[in-house]
Amino acid sequence: MAEVQVKEDSGKGGKVRSKKHNPRVDMTPMVDLNFLMLMFFMFTTTFSKPNVMDLGLPAKPKKDQKQPDTEIKLSNSISVIIGKDNKVFYHQQDQAGLNDATLMETTFDREGIRKVIEQAKAGAADKDLFTVIIKPTDDAVYKNFVDILDEMAITKNERYGVTDIKPWELAIYKKKVGE
Amino acid sequence: MARIKPKRHGVALDMTAMCDVTFLLLTFFIMTTQFKKPDVAQIKPPSSISEKLLPDASLMTVSVTPDGVFYFQPVDNGSEKIQLLDKMGEKYRMTFTNPEKAAFAKVEAIGVPMSQLKSYLNLPAEQQKAYKAKEGIPMDSTNKQLIDWVQQSLAVNPNYKLAIKGDVSTKYPKVKSLFEGLRDIDFLKFWLITSQEGKPGN
Repeated sequence: MAEVQVKEDSGKGGKVRSKKHNPRVDMTPMVDLNFLMLMFFMFTTTFSKPNVMDLGLPAKPKKDQKQPDTEIKLSNSISVIIGKDNKVFYHQQDQAGLNDATLMETTFDREGIRKVIEQAKAGAADKDLFTVIIKPTDDAVYKNFVDILDEMAITKNERYGVTDIKPWELAIYKKKVGE
Repeated sequence: MARIKPKRHGVALDMTAMCDVTFLLLTFFIMTTQFKKPDVAQIKPPSSISEKLLPDASLMTVSVTPDGVFYFQPVDNGSEKIQLLDKMGEKYRMTFTNPEKAAFAKVEAIGVPMSQLKSYLNLPAEQQKAYKAKEGIPMDSTNKQLIDWVQQSLAVNPNYKLAIKGDVSTKYPKVKSLFEGLRDIDFLKFWLITSQEGKPGN
């Protein structure tokens, strides 16, 4: 798309004039190149930032400090046990009530654990104090842990805790997965 | 009456203005862009619905590979990095020479125990890149070097933030030991690096 150079023909001949250059420079390739680089930088900036998820851990109780009362009413809480092979179990029982039948298994998708948590919350005596207790076993993988924290964000559960699995829970869990 | 012929315009547009604008934008993006640092190991973070982006704050990163190897990435700040090395050296009764300190300032991530750090820093730059740590930074109940790295970094500058980057298939006990270690030093707020996932459609 360069300018068409029109040859000036004065018809008179003789006098040799210095040729007049067209002062307009064709900028099209430059603009092309600019856009290319612009695209590159735009894409690299937007995609290089990973997402993050906040995680706050509870402080370890000091030795001389009295341990706060952490007992939560069973009906106001649900224990979620993360097992191996992306399995997840839940129960609302204490040591006496927990057995093969009361430790339920569910899945990580929308119809699974999310429904369970929502139902348990709906049935809680005091909805503001409803707590989810997350107990990952040693077979769990990091992804499951993040998934559960995600579910907490989706179901807008501010109150949740991560603790170790209790021995009596572990025994039932092992039985359930067939170990 | 003679018909007025439409005057033929040249097809060339004046691109100067466009060029100006693109240059302006280009300059802006070049200035603001921060390139992704090369990864120490192949780590695929789990997905989450969190839309929060990793802040720009002085950030140290702990990476956990699928095999449970820990890497520590100190805050990228030359002088503070050397202070950190001094502090770590003090703790582990090691002294570092000036070339070693200079090498440490260039290192992106550490994946060796303290005992091997000296020999690692003395490797030429290309070999350092190719070096694949087998055991990473030790992190268990008896040898908490990883926690020491975090603690000493905080001693250099208490405003440092920590991000943890774990792989999808990292075993939970590894992550748990890290969390427990962080609780021991009362460092309780940090970020987990995740990848973007669509919001649940409901």
